[in-house]
Amino acid sequence: MTSMQPLWWLALPVLLLPVWWHMRKRERTRTDLLATARFLPAAAPQQQRVLRWSDVLLLLARLALLAVLISWLAVLAMPWKGDTVFVGPSLGSSPWVAQQMQSAGMSAAGREPLPADLWNWLARNEHEWRPQARFLILAPRAAMPALPPRLAHAAELRLAPSATAAAIPATPRKRHIVVSAPDERLPGWQALFAAFSTAGDGANRYVLSDAPTTETELIVWDHPGTEPPGAWKAPLWWRTAAANGQTQTLQGLAWNAPQWPLHDVDAARALYERWQAAAAQAAPYPMSAQVLKAGRKEPLPAPLARSPEWLALALMALFAIERILAHARRR
Amino acid sequence: MLETPALLAHSADLELVIRHVLAGLGHGIHAGRERGAGVEFSEYRAYAPGDEWRRVDWKLLARADRYYVREAERDSHVATWLLLDATASMAEPSRRVDGLSKHWYARTALACVAAIAQRQGDAFGLLVISNGKVEFTQASRGPRHLQRVLAALQRATPSGELPDAETLRASLHFARSQGMVFAATDALDWPSPLGEALVRLRHMRHDVRLLALRTEAEVEADFPTGHAYRDPEEGACLHSFTRADRDNYHAALESHFAAVRTACRQHDVPLCEARIEQPLGELLRAWLRNPEARRP
Repeated sequence: MTSMQPLWWLALPVLLLPVWWHMRKRERTRTDLLATARFLPAAAPQQQRVLRWSDVLLLLARLALLAVLISWLAVLAMPWKGDTVFVGPSLGSSPWVAQQMQSAGMSAAGREPLPADLWNWLARNEHEWRPQARFLILAPRAAMPALPPRLAHAAELRLAPSATAAAIPATPRKRHIVVSAPDERLPGWQALFAAFSTAGDGANRYVLSDAPTTETELIVWDHPGTEPPGAWKAPLWWRTAAANGQTQTLQGLAWNAPQWPLHDVDAARALYERWQAAAAQAAPYPMSAQVLKAGRKEPLPAPLARSPEWLALALMALFAIERILAHARRR
Repeated sequence: MLETPALLAHSADLELVIRHVLAGLGHGIHAGRERGAGVEFSEYRAYAPGDEWRRVDWKLLARADRYYVREAERDSHVATWLLLDATASMAEPSRRVDGLSKHWYARTALACVAAIAQRQGDAFGLLVISNGKVEFTQASRGPRHLQRVLAALQRATPSGELPDAETLRASLHFARSQGMVFAATDALDWPSPLGEALVRLRHMRHDVRLLALRTEAEVEADFPTGHAYRDPEEGACLHSFTRADRDNYHAALESHFAAVRTACRQHDVPLCEARIEQPLGELLRAWLRNPEARRP
């Protein structure tokens, strides 16, 4: 559990309150009125030494209730962040970043990793920043959003020169493929996907396996005349069938072909291009470096339920227990 | 039937209680010195509207053709004063009988005295001492005045402390002519402004009768041990009671009441001591009996 509003932890001394309460209650001896008390020897007020088990339980329940309440409040989102620099993951700790922070006058600002969906993420989480805070976004490239971003804070986008970005090699993307083929054709499929790996300049790495997982993008079913297991699901299937064509099944879209190009280089290239054209997403339109002024006065309202749900449930349960114990003690 | 205070204490109606207590009590315990209008003839006075017709002298009307009213000389003008100590200590409950307290007992005893005084045609007035103040009800006669006095008694709740000597002296303005003073108190404050005021009244030749009330638990010292006790008039000061303290308590209480008795004897104030668990009729008999007759 991370605390999003750590100042609330300063309220922890409130826990002393129930302790003090219980001590005071123990202090008070039961007194009766007696008209002839003046003929009795005077006595100092004494502590009642008897501490009943329900007292201890009640004290513990009250302490826990307060502690949970404070921790629940502490997680509540409140604006406490100052100037922040968002640094793209590929830039890491390159000298260009330090230089840009210096030139923007934000060398003392906090650093955060660049979130994936930057503008939407900022709009959703902006309430965590103080109204005067500024954003500096340092990234090798940025995608142009459909609408100009409207934030409650000033933001500046700076793009790294291509040399800085190219200096760091991109890690290849893993793509999960399931190949189910007769033994004599299996090496052919493996060779085909190995060739696909080199064809994409190392941007993709194809991982072959026997059974599909949720990450599987493609299932090759090279058993003509048989049906695959019903539980197998993937966005795309390559199936060996009598006729060329494309069928939509419950398990996914199937490309059917009587013969897959395991030995024909040109046909394999055509298949690869067709597959990439179908699977690859459109490259985003690049956004140029620019300064964005605050577009709205208030950030979007903070979603309140930022604390974990079990904490709220625990709060309710503790409250019920405290009430029950207090009632039981009074009887 | 309703003989014991235990049964009487459950009745909130003071009048009903009086009727039951006085049912077995013969008249004439206390000799009223007031004989009513017109016993000793004194003079004639011209009739004024509002005078009773029966006091008009008809023979004189026939003779003089004027209305004259016979005025009687009253040989004495004895008023009965009821003095109720309603300080906080009077709230002390009987630890034997539910609903019975010194205040209830004192109030009921005074109500009975008022009822007796009313039966005998005496004037009676009431002083309720509570919360540092004196509530004064003028002395008068008649059943309506009895109702007024009973209401005042009913209203009184034990609280606060005794008023200081100045206040008490200032409120003794009723003491112009001789009368009887029935004072019901717990006598735990002694010497006290109340005691001084009673002695003062006695020196002014009033017939002062003091009733000192105690509970059986007080006399026998059988309070539950282990508690802390607080004097209702002393404030936050705590007192403890253990078995070992019992003898000391007895001795202190006895010496206190011995001092009260001595002071009363010295100033010729008949002191009647009672436990509130006693039957009320018995107490009234003892309280109202002529102290001269008791003396050897």
